[in-house]
Amino acid sequence: MDHYFMILYSLPLLSLLYIIYKIVDQRRHQGCYILDYQCFKPGDDRKLSTEFSGEIIKRNKNLGLNEYKFLLKAVVSSGIGEQTYAPRMVFAGREENPTYEDGIFEMDEFFNDCIGKLLSRAKVSASEIDVVVVNVSMLASIPSLASRIVNHYKMREDVKTYNLTGMGCSASLISINVVQNIFKSHKDMYALVVTSESLSPNWYSGNDKSMILANCLFRSGGCAMLLSNKVELRKKAMFKLKCLVRTHHGARDESYGCCIQKEDEQGRVGFHLDKVLPKAATRSFVDNLKEIAPKILPVREILRFALVSTLRKTLQRAKGGARPVINLKSGVDHFCLHTGGKAVIDGIGQNLNLSEYDLEPARMTLHRFGNTSASSLWYVLGYMEAKKRLKKGDKVFMISFGAGFKCNSCLWEVVRDLGDGNVWEDCIDSYPPETLVNPFLEKYGWIQSEDISTFKFPE
Amino acid sequence: MAQILPLFTSSVKLKYVKLGYQYLVNHILTFLLIPIMLATALKILRLGPVEILNVLKSLRFDLVQILCSSFLVIFVATVYFMSKPRCIYLVDYACYKAPVTCRVPFATFMEHSRLNLKDNPKSVDFQMRILERSGLGEETCLPPAIHYIPPSPTMEAARGEAEDVIFGVIDSLLQKTNLNPKDIDILIVNCSLFSPTPSLSAMVVNKYKLRSNIKSYNLSGMGCSAGLISIDLARDLLQVHPNSNAVVVSTEIITPNYYQGKERAMLLPNCLFRMGGAAMLLSNKRRERRRAKYRLVHVVRTHKGGDDKAYRCVYEEEDPQGKVGINLSKDLMVIAADALKSNITTIGPLVLPASEQLLFLFTLIGRKIFNPKWKPYIPDFKQAFEHFCIHAGGRAVIDELQKNLQLSAEHVEASRMALHRFGNTSSSSLWYELSYIEAKGRMKKGDRVWQIAFGSGFKCNSAVWKCNRSIKAPTDGPWQDCIDRYPVHIPEIVKL
Repeated sequence: MDHYFMILYSLPLLSLLYIIYKIVDQRRHQGCYILDYQCFKPGDDRKLSTEFSGEIIKRNKNLGLNEYKFLLKAVVSSGIGEQTYAPRMVFAGREENPTYEDGIFEMDEFFNDCIGKLLSRAKVSASEIDVVVVNVSMLASIPSLASRIVNHYKMREDVKTYNLTGMGCSASLISINVVQNIFKSHKDMYALVVTSESLSPNWYSGNDKSMILANCLFRSGGCAMLLSNKVELRKKAMFKLKCLVRTHHGARDESYGCCIQKEDEQGRVGFHLDKVLPKAATRSFVDNLKEIAPKILPVREILRFALVSTLRKTLQRAKGGARPVINLKSGVDHFCLHTGGKAVIDGIGQNLNLSEYDLEPARMTLHRFGNTSASSLWYVLGYMEAKKRLKKGDKVFMISFGAGFKCNSCLWEVVRDLGDGNVWEDCIDSYPPETLVNPFLEKYGWIQSEDISTFKFPE
Repeated sequence: MAQILPLFTSSVKLKYVKLGYQYLVNHILTFLLIPIMLATALKILRLGPVEILNVLKSLRFDLVQILCSSFLVIFVATVYFMSKPRCIYLVDYACYKAPVTCRVPFATFMEHSRLNLKDNPKSVDFQMRILERSGLGEETCLPPAIHYIPPSPTMEAARGEAEDVIFGVIDSLLQKTNLNPKDIDILIVNCSLFSPTPSLSAMVVNKYKLRSNIKSYNLSGMGCSAGLISIDLARDLLQVHPNSNAVVVSTEIITPNYYQGKERAMLLPNCLFRMGGAAMLLSNKRRERRRAKYRLVHVVRTHKGGDDKAYRCVYEEEDPQGKVGINLSKDLMVIAADALKSNITTIGPLVLPASEQLLFLFTLIGRKIFNPKWKPYIPDFKQAFEHFCIHAGGRAVIDELQKNLQLSAEHVEASRMALHRFGNTSSSSLWYELSYIEAKGRMKKGDRVWQIAFGSGFKCNSAVWKCNRSIKAPTDGPWQDCIDRYPVHIPEIVKL
């Protein structure tokens, strides 16, 4: 009889152990790792110098002296260097009438280059990919760009594709979010995330001041990443995702309308950037920080900050000192900031009390590649890697802003020492340069003092 | 039998055997438990009733033992239930009903066509022939911007249409489900051809003042099957986030994509695509079980993009004059049938009753081992589902699927009537069809619905829902005022 009782007792025990094993096994498979990433470096024939920018602005019949002045000032003081890349149709002189084919061709050039290199370097064949997520904000094509990739690389029939559009410059972290969620419910997957921006069909050729700025700031670029949650690849991966937080301020009309695509008075479609953009960005950034800081910082830093803030609030006589700033550096070693522009980088640096060393990768990326929209974070990451700053165990904090108004941030942990040059290989040794001042400042600086009545376009 | 569907049988491999093996391994505990229980039961029964009584008397029912064992059993049961994958419920959904002023009867369409394409009478003729055979009715709608001669597809008009359709449909959904916008945790919007920045999902967040930690996603370019892709994404997200509500909005914004050139293959979408949209509320909260209409059982996605012909069959490109339009290739039907076959071979084992599967398995083994000349057994899908919602892509698509799956006229009635009343509303057509079935009072508790959609790429996606509670007619929805007139007989050719 005792045997039967032994069996009776052991059965629930065994099933309990089995269920616990299943849960633990599931958790093991939920990690999100970046195996490799490849940024896009267009050919040298697409490099856009300030002088050529001046030519483009001159070519545009719709722009008068005021706009010319405004634009040159913007280009010269933007922190963007002489080696950024522009879409091909600009060099062909067709920016007034870009065609749909131009947009598709631009994307094809990027896909064929980057994805092929990525897959061959990671030694993963295209038929092993299970998930493809593409985010390109301003181009919607039929079939989708994700389908284009599936077709070109002949992927499997049960591949899960997602094509995100319209989500602005913070979309690459949204794509990572999609992959992170899929990894939590499926085991042993490879995911390909492709992020870029389509500039060709969206070149603005009107004269609305709030819209012409977009032409000056955005540049061509893109990045393809290979992610996985396979347990056996954990040690070979580059980065591990620790946490990701998304903040959406679309509920506020001001934030929603500060960065919006619309038609100007003449009916031309352009990207409108409002004056309240910095304010909306700061607000969403603060909200996002409030949510992610407790997740990434050590407890003593959070306690210290809470203590200082409450002390300041209770002591009515604020001594006029600076507002307490949370010290992100206690939990973060490297900062990947979205290269939205010099003002954005300066603003974040000031808000978070970051040193020049911390801001260097973002500044250099802005200088070398310009604002490549959603993929800019990965160029910044590439710079850090090329400068051999990333060591095992380091924490990298990524933050990006986008239309809507969204602020997304995430924390990566470096899995092993990294030092590959990738896209920065040929120029990393010349960075940081002695000065970031635009060499054409003298050439175009005179425009500040021109008089509209006597102004003639220079030959 | 074999001649009608040679496609299915020629390439089915030992996939079924593999699936059976997977089933065995996944449920190994259950399979082990049954023999042990049987053995114990047999042993006990052999003892005889008197012996059993003696044994029971001699048991030392120690208090501690009883407590421990009952605690163990309860604990195991709790852990088991907590670790099960969460059920995804479709609480309710709403479809868009355009105002009467947007209606485009045949006469209006042809008149506009003649005026817009006055230099191309051949193209006008072509459009008329398409319209005659299309299976569309006189009450389909086009957005206001397209009613202009020539159409004026500005971005503002496109935004206006998006606002009308999306806000209209979400308002209706919020009212039906009594949902507070602040309770929405996940928002997915899919619209193929219009993707402004900020996205349509940001537009929704702005209008309804949704929370700042909402997880929003905006899918585009994924064609007419994008609705089911959004449902798949929502399912993956709801598995990860407990106690959440997800709102999925499927629509197609026609304004920016009305083809204004004269290439014939590109004029076809103009004749078929119409205004429409749908919004769904999905949830994984246990308390929604009571009022949810459906439960999501499976979503299966098939992507044929690897094959060049399939990839190019729905293709957006510029015509020789530089006007952008969607080119539909002539072998669309063949490719659709092929994609459907792949999808069915994956979904078959998941939904067919055991009897059909076993029959198929034995026939398959028999063919491989004994005699290849045995007739292959084609599973009967009508046994697995009560209702079918086939994407109303056009009359030809519905005809082809009816033939391939051997469905009766009643099974495809919902699709044909939705095509007639609303036209091809792209990703939201499946929801108009489901609404038709409900409005006719045919949806009973336990009924299974199979939604199939095709899209550019070439994709074939299907979703299986199980009805959670009987839905009584009359229902409020887009069919409210006209359900009594349906079904109508749609002639092969309507003389214009």
